[in-house]
Amino acid sequence: MAINFITSLILVIRNFFLLIFYPYRTMRKISFEKDNYQLLIIAGLVFLYFKFIYFLRDKPYPATLIFLIFLFNFFFTVFFFYCLSKNFEKDVRLRSFIFTFSYSLFPTLIWFLSTSILYIFLPPPRTLSLLGNAFSIFFMAYSLSLLIWKLILVYLALRFSSKQNFFRIFYMMILYLIWFLPYSVLLYYFRFFRVPFI
Amino acid sequence: MTEINLRLKNKLNEVFVVGPNDLGIDFLTFYFKKITVRLKIMPFVYVIPSAILLALILYFLFEKLLVRLVTILQYGY
Repeated sequence: MAINFITSLILVIRNFFLLIFYPYRTMRKISFEKDNYQLLIIAGLVFLYFKFIYFLRDKPYPATLIFLIFLFNFFFTVFFFYCLSKNFEKDVRLRSFIFTFSYSLFPTLIWFLSTSILYIFLPPPRTLSLLGNAFSIFFMAYSLSLLIWKLILVYLALRFSSKQNFFRIFYMMILYLIWFLPYSVLLYYFRFFRVPFI
Repeated sequence: MTEINLRLKNKLNEVFVVGPNDLGIDFLTFYFKKITVRLKIMPFVYVIPSAILLALILYFLFEKLLVRLVTILQYGY
């Protein structure tokens, strides 16, 4: 069991770097993945992040509760795309959606972790001074590049899991945003997530 | 020989798991493929300069709003 776990950990690290350099080829490979330990490792990393921010947040909810809400969001998203894809193509596997969407959490995890660390060393609010402006441009460029990477990974996750063409994937994303944006506002209102963790 | 054939078959099955994208209009498909082919390998070579350019444009267009947005995002972890 320990050897299986270490092997999976190495594979997760390897896939993480390959997703940076070869996202298309790597996501295609991930869509055939069957090793459940990899999912456990990614979920573990997310849980560790929630544990970490528990000490940073003001009046926080328990990390376990936030993690359960995250799991609910994640599986609801996966089921939404799976059910939608099932209408167009019979040969789609739920496992493929779960794996590809789990790996597409990496940009999210990096952004949230780096933002929380920056919060410690460079706490907001930002000012209109020279350094404040420079940092704002840097932070915006950094966030945008991770957002673009995230969009690429989500697109590839949908492409290889649903096996649909560009336009159908685009429509599916629009349909997703129609319910997800109000839902994110609800999560913000109840102070679970300020920026949706997905 | 049989093993090589099997591996080749598996690889081909993996590569052709999805059909090529066709956007319906030839020139759209042409430019879509031109753009996506660059994002398949090392997308950050294009993503980082584009993000910096976009951030600078946003800064010159909405200076105060951008600074405020960054403040909000910094609370967003």
